[in-house]
Amino acid sequence: MTRVTSCSDPLDLATLVDYWFGDLDGPDLDRVEEHLLECDACGSVLRSLMATGDGVRRLARAGAFGVVVSPSFLQTASRQGLRVREYRVPAGGRVDCTLTADDDLLVSYLEGDFRGVSRLDLVVQVEDGPEHRVFDLPISPSSPELIVAQAMPALRALPSATMRMRLLAREGEGDRLVGEYTFAHTASATGRE
Amino acid sequence: MLVAVAAEPESATEASDAELAGRVRGGDRAAEAELFRRLAPRVRLYGLRHLRDPAAADDLVQDVLLMTFDSLRAGKVREDERLASYVLGTCRRMAIGLARSTTRRQRLLERFGPELAPAAWTFDSPSLDLDRLVSCLERLAERERSVVVLSFYADRGAAEIASELGLSPANVRVVRHRALARLRGCMEARA
Repeated sequence: MTRVTSCSDPLDLATLVDYWFGDLDGPDLDRVEEHLLECDACGSVLRSLMATGDGVRRLARAGAFGVVVSPSFLQTASRQGLRVREYRVPAGGRVDCTLTADDDLLVSYLEGDFRGVSRLDLVVQVEDGPEHRVFDLPISPSSPELIVAQAMPALRALPSATMRMRLLAREGEGDRLVGEYTFAHTASATGRE
Repeated sequence: MLVAVAAEPESATEASDAELAGRVRGGDRAAEAELFRRLAPRVRLYGLRHLRDPAAADDLVQDVLLMTFDSLRAGKVREDERLASYVLGTCRRMAIGLARSTTRRQRLLERFGPELAPAAWTFDSPSLDLDRLVSCLERLAERERSVVVLSFYADRGAAEIASELGLSPANVRVVRHRALARLRGCMEARA
């Protein structure tokens, strides 16, 4: 056996990803772990993946981007002691909302009946501005709500305004309205940078 | 007259792991140092994967390599070619004990030192351009971004994410792989 400086039989990225997240077992797991104890090239790819993971964790914790989340995300945020401002809005509902300097994250619960929905889009509009459509959101049909962690930098920069969100189920060639949600946002005077 | 010329011994840095293991058994300190240098980051990677804690991974490196070198010197590692298999077995045994003491420390660190902890995960990795990463994350499809966040931030496996997002575990794995490949490509495009 020669020293591995470059790998003649590299593990593919999908295998390394499955390994990192605990989705390999049995002989597949043995093969990957033994390989990584001999191969620095594949180890380097895995370290790069871990570095990306570090970055994702930091950014998610800071609410740096908007993302559809789940209860496990909120459990993690709670364990970390983050202050999460939450707004729960029924379909057709309206809520007054704001953001303070103490808030780490802001999460919206958009309630609706998602049974039978195979594809869900979100349309966002601030005041009379252009509509922004977000395609194919992940939602469990049995869930009573879609949970969205908002992008904090954008929210902190938002002036007082009315934001409308519509959830649309894609059906055949058309859309069916699942729910419309209105957020009357008051800008915080002490919003953080 | 024929003169037998002994082959120059390979330098430690050019030798294979198996060759180094053989030399360690013969008391070669340079070989020992080189083998330690190679194995330490590999064992640490194993520790990070299983213990999810940088300090515990460092402990594992110490424990595993002490045991490994002790066994090598004592001639207890029977086949040098199977060194990785021996180290893996030692990692697995040692990690079980460390996992218990790690859980409490992880909880405390998560709560009180999250800004400090992540950097230690990748002590030997290049620094990450976070602004670039945000941009790359925003380019992912919604379900890709959700799966990536739940994987890394909430530390959930495919089956748990599948249950929460109404997907199949196989689908989550496909989405996760596709998303990470795209992120990697996006990050490297600017590197």
